[in-house]
Amino acid sequence: MTGVDERESPWRIHGMSVEGYRHRRQGLPCQDACAYTVSASVAVLAVADGAGSRPRSEEGSRLAVELAAEQFARRSAAAAECHPGEAVHELLEDAFHDVSKMFLDATGADAPDFATTLTVVVLAPGWLGHLTVGDGFVVLRAGAEDGERQFHLLPQAMAASEYSNETVFLTSPDAARWVHTDCVSDDGIDGVLLSTDGLVQAALNRSGGGALSPNTSFVDAVFRSLDTVTDNTHEGLATLLRSDRLTALNADDKTLLRAVLRARP
Amino acid sequence: MHSEYPPTLPAEYADIEFENNAQRLPLVLCLDTSSSMAGQPIQTLNNALMEWTRELHDDVSLSYSVEVAVVTFGGQGVAAWRGPQLLAPRAPVSPFVPAHTFRPPQLAAAGVTLMTEALELSMHIVAARKAELRASGLQYYRPQICLVTDGLPTDGTGHLTDSWHRLIPVLAEEQRARRFRLYAIGVGGITDMGEQVLQAFAPKFNARLQGFPFRELLQMMSASANAEQKGAGDEVFEKIFSQFKTQRPAWES
Repeated sequence: MTGVDERESPWRIHGMSVEGYRHRRQGLPCQDACAYTVSASVAVLAVADGAGSRPRSEEGSRLAVELAAEQFARRSAAAAECHPGEAVHELLEDAFHDVSKMFLDATGADAPDFATTLTVVVLAPGWLGHLTVGDGFVVLRAGAEDGERQFHLLPQAMAASEYSNETVFLTSPDAARWVHTDCVSDDGIDGVLLSTDGLVQAALNRSGGGALSPNTSFVDAVFRSLDTVTDNTHEGLATLLRSDRLTALNADDKTLLRAVLRARP
Repeated sequence: MHSEYPPTLPAEYADIEFENNAQRLPLVLCLDTSSSMAGQPIQTLNNALMEWTRELHDDVSLSYSVEVAVVTFGGQGVAAWRGPQLLAPRAPVSPFVPAHTFRPPQLAAAGVTLMTEALELSMHIVAARKAELRASGLQYYRPQICLVTDGLPTDGTGHLTDSWHRLIPVLAEEQRARRFRLYAIGVGGITDMGEQVLQAFAPKFNARLQGFPFRELLQMMSASANAEQKGAGDEVFEKIFSQFKTQRPAWES
């Protein structure tokens, strides 16, 4: 996706967006999108979910992830010495500002027709940055307890209403107010997964009271299948995302973008 | 999705454990089963419920998400049904059944038209179901209530009553707060006055239909459920409803 040889990156990255059952049945395009960019030092991953009710949202989600991959990588490369903490939050917010501005410049007065969520992760030496607007989510794999791999859901942006299908979009007039950022500094992180709300029910479990946590069996399998790449890695994920099993939980488009740390030679 | 899931997952994903935490869409059918529905109308309704149930089972996107409850007002007074099972008043059991296991009740027509009380019960079970879903950590879409009647609200002795006036401000507030969508449908020989009641209940989503087009009505509820899952705007629901209102069924000449 950039001029750089991806093999120079410590991260192996793979993912896709597939159209959900409902769109397949109606002959509509997938309104989710994902993109990433890697250099020797920084990787940027982005996923987006175009609003089902807006006519050009599939273009919106595509534009959002492409701009995000570019702009977050540019800002991160320029701040290579950035230390974890406030400086990372600022970097993320500045990059989001760039993306919003370019998005609005490109879509003009029709911007609401391109409504989309956006979730971005920056993997830099010493820190992980996370920015999200809308209902995308991120799960990290880091460390082990008693031989069991540990998975962590990053905090999501605040819910906008009682009903989870009503969310905030990049194009919402007050989007900046709803943006959520995190900076994580943990050398144990060796897996990162980004997704849109189409996989919430499969990838996350809810406790009474609504607290979310990763569905360990799901995220573990999804990371493991990228730890050891085979000829079927791509096809396998596509089959999983299109399966009736997942459709019954959520018939929306689905996106899964994952990164694992390559085994050290 | 009639049976257990087919073994379609690739080997590397075969061991994933899924909970059924599909986002839920509570749907209440609030049906008039008073004596004026006797004969062909109630038979048509029963047949339409059977066919709709089959369609729901086959709809992979609705079958694990939609939850159906039936409320009737007629012979038993106001009653809630859990699938085919009539619930005792104030039974501590939710009348909502996941669509993929829903079976319709066999309805019979008799008695008076306690429409006000039936709508109150519908609102009550929706609120209670939301609380249950929240407590178990499940998300939900905006519920739908579909009121269907061919008459006017009566009291328990069958005399016309204006008790329904007490519902107007309540419904207006509930709708404003988007707690549910209410559809109010008049069928058969409903009078002008009956239509006015429905207009007051559901200013945007009311209709007066010739005959007893229950089949189309239930299909409209599925279309609306689909739109809800897509996060469609109000204009989409209005379009679905106006298409439903203006269609001319074959038997109507």
